[in-house]
Amino acid sequence: MATYDWVFNSLGLRDWCDGDGSGGSAPMSMADLVGQSGGGAPETSLWDTPFPSMDSLNDACASFPQSREVTQGLERGFLDIKDALSYVLDPITQPLSWALANALWLFQETPWWIMIPALALIVLVVSRSWQLMAFVAGCFAALAFIDYYDYAMQTLAIIFVCAVICVLLGVPIGIAMSRSDKLQRIMIPVLDMLQTLPPFVYLIPLIFLFSVTEPKLYGIAIILYAIVPVIRLTNLGIRLVDKEVIEAADAFGMTKRQKLYGVQIPLALPNIMAGVNQTIMMSLAMVVIASLVSAPGLGVLVLRGIRNLELGVGLISGLGIVLLAVILDRSTKAALARVNAAQKT
Amino acid sequence: MADPKISIRNLYKIFGEDPQGALAHAKNGMHKAELLDEHRHVLGLRDINVDMKPGEITVIMGLSGSGKSTLIRHLNRLIDPTDGEVWVNGENIMDYSDAQLRKMRRKHMSMVFQKFALLPHRTVLENAATSMTVDGRPRSEWEPEARKWLDRVGLEGQGEQFPHQLSGGMQQRVGIARALTSNSDIMLMDEAFSALDPLIRTDMQDLLIELQRELQKTVVFITHDLDEALKLADHLVILKDGEVVQQGEPQHILMNPNDPYIVDFISDINRARVLRARTVMTETTQDPGGLSGAVEANATLEDIIARADGETGRSYRVTQEDRMIGVISMTDVVKALVPTDASEDGMRKAS
Repeated sequence: MATYDWVFNSLGLRDWCDGDGSGGSAPMSMADLVGQSGGGAPETSLWDTPFPSMDSLNDACASFPQSREVTQGLERGFLDIKDALSYVLDPITQPLSWALANALWLFQETPWWIMIPALALIVLVVSRSWQLMAFVAGCFAALAFIDYYDYAMQTLAIIFVCAVICVLLGVPIGIAMSRSDKLQRIMIPVLDMLQTLPPFVYLIPLIFLFSVTEPKLYGIAIILYAIVPVIRLTNLGIRLVDKEVIEAADAFGMTKRQKLYGVQIPLALPNIMAGVNQTIMMSLAMVVIASLVSAPGLGVLVLRGIRNLELGVGLISGLGIVLLAVILDRSTKAALARVNAAQKT
Repeated sequence: MADPKISIRNLYKIFGEDPQGALAHAKNGMHKAELLDEHRHVLGLRDINVDMKPGEITVIMGLSGSGKSTLIRHLNRLIDPTDGEVWVNGENIMDYSDAQLRKMRRKHMSMVFQKFALLPHRTVLENAATSMTVDGRPRSEWEPEARKWLDRVGLEGQGEQFPHQLSGGMQQRVGIARALTSNSDIMLMDEAFSALDPLIRTDMQDLLIELQRELQKTVVFITHDLDEALKLADHLVILKDGEVVQQGEPQHILMNPNDPYIVDFISDINRARVLRARTVMTETTQDPGGLSGAVEANATLEDIIARADGETGRSYRVTQEDRMIGVISMTDVVKALVPTDASEDGMRKAS
C-alpha cells in the first residue's frame, strides 16, 4: 500500500494503473529493490508523508512515469535531434576548428625569438608604454625559462581566436540590442543564463554534438561563456551615448549608418573595450575548464596537477595562467585608457 | 511685408499612450493641468500659430516645462507633432520623406544646442565642418569653409584641438561655427547661451547680434531669460503650459502686457536697459524748441538718463537715420520706468 493510492482510486484510474503490468518499461530503481527486500512497505505516519512527487506517485500507480524519465526523455529528445543539429552546426562551426588549429600551429611553429619580440611590439603599439612592454617580455621569458613556453602559447592562441570571434559576433549583437528594446528583453535572460550556467554544463551537450578530437568543441564552449560581457557592454555603451549628441547628429542630417559609425560606436568605444577586456578574462577562465575536453595549453597541466596530485606542476601552471591574465588585462586596459583620454567630454 | 520663412499652424503635441485620443480633448479646449489630471496625457503644445519672418530673430521664451524646447524641435522634425503643420520656405515639412528631411537639415536648417553637443572624438575643425562632411563633401571643400567660420567666431588657430580642451564659451563658439558652416538660412538655437557664465553669455549675445547684422539669417532662439529675450528679439513669443500667451514686438509686449503671467514676468526686469527711445517718445516731426540735443531711436532709456546727467527737466529730439521722428522728455522716461498699471499687487495675486 502506498501513500497516494487513494488519488488514483478516487479518480477511477485504478484500472489504468494496473493495466499494463508493473510500471511500464522503466527498469527497477535501487529504491524499488530495497523496498522489495524489506517486504511490504510499513504504514507511514503523517509526519513521514512524502511529497506527491513522480516517484511516490509511481509507487501508488505503476503506470505513472518515474521522475528519471524526465531526464531520460530530455536525453532521448536531444539524441533524436542530434543528427539534424550536427548536420547544421558542423559546417557552420567548421571555420572555428580551422582557425583554432591554424592559430595553434602558428603560435607554436613561430620560433620564440620572433614570437616574444612580436608580442612585446604589439603590446607597445597598443599601450604606448615601454614599461608594460618590458613587463610582458619579462613574463614570457620567465615562462619560457621554466619550459612552459609551449603551453602558454597554446593557451594564448586559443584565447586569441576565441576573443576575436567573440568581438566579431558580440559587437553586432550588442548594436542590434541597443536599437531594439524588444530584442533587449529577449536577450537579457539568455545572457544571464549563459553567464550563470556552470561552465561544465556547456560541455555536456557539446560532447554529444561534436567529436572530442575537434578543436571547435572547446572553442564553442569558450565563446558561449565569454561572449556575454562584450554583448552587454556594447549594448550599454551605445544606449549611454549622450542624447544631445545623437540629437545633434540628427539635426545635421546624418543617416542611420553615419550616426552608427561616426557617433555611436566611437562614443561607446570605452565601454566596448571594457567588454572586450572582460571577454578575454572570461575566456582565460574557461580555457582551463575546457582542457577537460582536450583543449591544449596550461589548463592541461592544471588538470594533471589535480589528477596526479602533482602539487608543483599545478601551482606553477596556475601561476602561469595568472601571469597571462595580468598581461592581457594590463594591455587591454592600457588601450582602453588611451581611448578614454582621447575623448574625455 | 515679406512672406514668413517659417510658419507654424495649429500645432499640437501630446505625450502619452494615446495622443490622438487626447488630442480631441485638447481641441475641445482642455488645458495642460486638466488633461494630465483627467486623461493622464501630458500636453506638450496646444494650438501654436507663429510666423517667423526672414532675417529676423524670433525668440521663444518660457519657463521650464512650457514646451519651448519641444516647439523648436518641431521645426526640423526631431519631434513629430500630434497634429498641425510646419511650413518652411512655402513647403509643408510634414509631407517630407526621410531623404528630403535630411537634405533640409543639412542645407537649410542648422541647430545650436544648450550643452553644445559637439562630437568629443573629433577635432574642433571637424566638428565645425559636420554639416558638410555629412553631405559627403571632400576635405578640400569643407576645410576652408570651416576655418573661415571658426575664425569668424573668434577661434583662430584652435581647429586642431579637441572640444574637451576648450572652455564652455569656446565650445559654444564651435557650436555656432558648426551651424554657420552649413550656410543654411535658418538657425535654430535651443537655449544656446543658458549653460554659460553671465559675462560670457553677454559676449555671445553680442557675437550673435553682430553676426546677424552681417548675415541676416532667420534665427529661432529659445530662452528662459527675459533679459536675453529682450536683447535679441525682433519678434517675441511667450509660451506658458504649451500655449502662446502673447507674441509680438518685444517693446510692445513690455508696454502692453496682456496677461498677468507676463506682467509678473516683466516686473523684475531693468526697464531702463530694455525700453528704447522710440517706444516711449511722442511721435512728431515738429521741433517744439527748447530741446537739449538728439538721441537715436534705438537708444535705451538708460542711455538717455546718462546723457541727461540725471536732470529731469530736459527733452530730446529722437532721430532715426538722421531724420527726426519724435520727441522724448525726461518725464516720459521716468514714467516709463514704473511698471505698467496691470502689475499692481492685485494682478500679482491673480496670477
